[in-house]
Amino acid sequence: MDSETQNPRSGMGDFIESIRDTTVMVKLYSGAVYYGELQNIDGYMNVSLNECREIRNGKVVRNWGEAFIRGNNVSYIGAGS
Amino acid sequence: MADVEVGVATEVPEPLELVRLCVDEVVIVKLRGDRELKGRLHAYDSHLNLVLGDVEETIYIVDDEDEDVESVRTIKKQSEMLFVRGDSVVLVSPTR
Amino acid sequence: MSFFGFDTTLPRGAGHSNRAPGFGQTHDPFAGLSAAGGDEDVIDFEDTYDGLGDQLDETDDAFNDDTFGGEPASQQSIGKDFDFSGQTSQIANTLREEEMLYRARQPPPQRAPAQQATKPARSGYESYTDPNYIPQLEARADIWGLKPKNQTQSQSRQQENQSPAPAAGRAPAPAKKMLSLDEVEAMIRAQSMGQSQPTPPVQHSQIPEMPSQMQPQSHVQPFHQAPYSQGPFPGMPGPPGMVGPPGMAGPPGMAGPPGISGPQGMPGLPGAFSGPPHILQRPQQQAAPRGYGPRQPQQVHAELPGHSVQGSPMPQPTAILQRQRPPTDSTNQQRRHTPQPQVPVHHAPSQPRQILQNPNRLSGHGQPVMQAGQRGSAGGHGHNRGPSLPGMVVTHPEQLLHLTEEQRAAFLEEDAKRAKRNHKIALLARDNGLMTPQDKNFITRIQLQQLMAASGNVEGQGSEAALAEDFYYQVFSQIRGAPRQTPHQPASQFAQTYLFQTSSRYGAGRRHGRGGDNHMQRMEQQVQRAVEAAKARPKGKQLVFEGTLGKIAFSNTKTPRPLLNVTRSETVDKLKAHAKKSSAMDRKATLRNIEAVYLTLMTMEDHERLIPPPVREGSDPEAIQQHMEWRTKMEELHAQLWQDIKIMEPINPQSLTPHPFIAMLAHAKGKKAVPRIFRHIDDTERLTVLTMIVVNLDKLSVIANGIATPEEPLSPSVREEIELFTHTVMPPLFAHISESQLNMIIGLLGLVLSHTHPQIVARTKIGMNLLTMFLSRAELLKQSAPEMDVTEWEKWTESYNRLFDAIEPALPYLFPNTANDTDDRHIWGFLAAMGVHASPEQQQRLVLGVKDRVMETVTMSKTLPTDLAAPRLANVNLFMRAIGLDVELLG
Repeated sequence: MDSETQNPRSGMGDFIESIRDTTVMVKLYSGAVYYGELQNIDGYMNVSLNECREIRNGKVVRNWGEAFIRGNNVSYIGAGS
Repeated sequence: MADVEVGVATEVPEPLELVRLCVDEVVIVKLRGDRELKGRLHAYDSHLNLVLGDVEETIYIVDDEDEDVESVRTIKKQSEMLFVRGDSVVLVSPTR
Repeated sequence: MSFFGFDTTLPRGAGHSNRAPGFGQTHDPFAGLSAAGGDEDVIDFEDTYDGLGDQLDETDDAFNDDTFGGEPASQQSIGKDFDFSGQTSQIANTLREEEMLYRARQPPPQRAPAQQATKPARSGYESYTDPNYIPQLEARADIWGLKPKNQTQSQSRQQENQSPAPAAGRAPAPAKKMLSLDEVEAMIRAQSMGQSQPTPPVQHSQIPEMPSQMQPQSHVQPFHQAPYSQGPFPGMPGPPGMVGPPGMAGPPGMAGPPGISGPQGMPGLPGAFSGPPHILQRPQQQAAPRGYGPRQPQQVHAELPGHSVQGSPMPQPTAILQRQRPPTDSTNQQRRHTPQPQVPVHHAPSQPRQILQNPNRLSGHGQPVMQAGQRGSAGGHGHNRGPSLPGMVVTHPEQLLHLTEEQRAAFLEEDAKRAKRNHKIALLARDNGLMTPQDKNFITRIQLQQLMAASGNVEGQGSEAALAEDFYYQVFSQIRGAPRQTPHQPASQFAQTYLFQTSSRYGAGRRHGRGGDNHMQRMEQQVQRAVEAAKARPKGKQLVFEGTLGKIAFSNTKTPRPLLNVTRSETVDKLKAHAKKSSAMDRKATLRNIEAVYLTLMTMEDHERLIPPPVREGSDPEAIQQHMEWRTKMEELHAQLWQDIKIMEPINPQSLTPHPFIAMLAHAKGKKAVPRIFRHIDDTERLTVLTMIVVNLDKLSVIANGIATPEEPLSPSVREEIELFTHTVMPPLFAHISESQLNMIIGLLGLVLSHTHPQIVARTKIGMNLLTMFLSRAELLKQSAPEMDVTEWEKWTESYNRLFDAIEPALPYLFPNTANDTDDRHIWGFLAAMGVHASPEQQQRLVLGVKDRVMETVTMSKTLPTDLAAPRLANVNLFMRAIGLDVELLG
């Protein structure tokens, strides 16, 4: 039990660690999509990205550079490309 | 895992660090409702309540009556100091 | 008692108060009674005087002579009395001292008088009047905490005496009883003869006082006489005070002990008398003063007897008291002693009576000044002192009795000395605790400033010089320094401000600055001031500045520093690898660095506030330990800070990214940290910072982005950045430069020339201001220290020539804007600084380079209203006059 409960966590940590600095896609409830290198993430789904680009309708509408995205807006986070 | 986290802690403890490092820097804050603020970040908290100084607020108004021609108007306002409630904050980014 | 109350005495009492500062200074509990607080000055006394003195019963005045001696003697004493502050008093002092010595060698009884006499002499008046009394001030510092009270007490005592005076009217009654006392005394004498040995000391103490007072101290006599002539009781002056105090009855416990102790102590040690009494009193009084305030204790002493006296049957009560304490022989002893005192003979009898009546009074009246002062002081300020003396008090009386005469004598002598010292201290310490040590330092600095200013004025510089020397102005200018930095106020202004703050504290170099050669005098005011101020600081730094080659070693004995490698030739390519990621990552790293700096700064500043109270001699080990710990922590934080600012990171000229420290300065918060950092680092470290900045001058964002052209003016954000830099980073740098020696200036200028692009540097406001500071400082040094090594100046000239050659091509581009731009003062200032050092030929080239701009400005100013044109022309003249010209010459 112990190992089971811990494994998911450590798995989570490992997972986050494994995707750190890789490009991720962050979709917000508003429909906005952000691509960027994952800098960090916390339990609130607050996310910080490097080289953050905002994309709407398939077009890059803005290049934010570094960005912090407040977790409550985040619908999901996926691998980007 | 503990080890991992320690390693992380020194590097990037949390996303909020990005905001913390922006204290006394000029930041752009994207708010709900197509608004943006640009100003010097004086203070913040974990809710992303913010205090901004010398703020320029930009409101984007999209006139899309015509599907083809999507025009965006902007309205700008200046404020000496603003307190921003965190729940309207979408994104915070330092200016480069 | 009476002496204050008498009409005639009033003036005298006033006189006393005036002479003896102590009189007026302490709070007088009786002030209320006399309405205006007689202690303040004579006039009050008069005003509040109830005229009771006129009603005094003079029937027994006939006895005055018996008691106090003949008129002639008294007159003499009066004269002395008045001359408290004069030479007479000094002579009297010496006389007393000699007398003391003399008596010290004689049997105890004799000594007693002498010492008492000395005590009165020492009452503290002299120190005030004596021009040489300043040294005592230092003495007080030594004893600071221990003995301040005496004086206060004495003063308060005196006040008491005075204050009681108004009530003196009552005094007469006691006088009558005095007579009866004589009789009593006589009886006592007879009895005591047999007992003489044991008791004598007590009486001696009392008696001796009288004689001594009579002779050495004019005080006593004057008092007596005055009272007699005017009122019934000459000797009573002390008592009057007593009268007032009835309220004191409560304290009596306190008072009682002092009085008692005094007499008792006296017996054994006549000479010592004065000393011991004080001591005794203090402890007792100490307790009282705290509770009641200083006054009460004092009054108590004097008045204990007084209380009873006042009632009406004064004499008897007093007599009783005496009997109890100094049981019998007092009269005998008194007489013995009195004769010895010489003059006092006549008085002796009378005085003894008084003494007998009031043990306390003895001191109080006969020695009004002395004892009053002493006791008063003990009581008044005894609170502070308390602990050390009490032990003495308790033990001495009995101990003394058992001591051999020699021991006694020695002890008494010691006591006398101590008493003297206590008096002095007390006088000085009257206002103890009013100021903290910091306050004192502060005042001292102000005074030093003024001293320097005063001496400096000999040179005859006007208000400007005075301003430079004025502490308040410096503080003011410091406060105002930053805000003043508007675009319209050129950098030289704040430079000047900072120079002021930092440099004018030392008067040494001041003169040199003033001389000024023609150029300097004509130079813009600020530059002149800056120069002047800067000169004031000759420095012996433990810093070796190795020429202009860029290798700098600093070290001081405590903290040897690694070499700061500033050579450009060294190549390090390792960092190139991660250059790609750099911008974002470096930025973040820099922000983290800044964050760390602030954390440490805040910790330090917080720690500063926790500084434990200063350690003194005698501080308990725990306090010292605390202090040590505090200091250790501070040093740790200091080291931490030094690390945090990354200043010692190697400089990599090849790197695309600026040095971490320089990178910090690109951020607003990085700039803001600089003045705070400077506050915590030492001179050597400051130089390191300065050097780092100079070496990387053209990498500073404010300079790299700070070049404006007419086509491309600075963006608002850059202007803001420059503004901020000017407020935050430049002042500490200027402050440091203004203290630098020529070799350092040469070295720094060399670094600019060898490590930066002087043309770029010179085309920015910040760079220009820095260069101006170098030039001004060099000029200052040149004027202030002409004797300086010639080779130094040759080096300087060489450096200057290099600078000139490097900048000459850029001269036409120094002005980023058109002549319409008003923000060009710093440029003219820079040109002026250049012009001051330039050779005639260089001056010509200089003029050629900026001729167009000069003409443009002059022409344009003609189209402007005078009030607008004047400052513009003044700016131009800043430069023109530096090279011996004037815009007026341009027609």
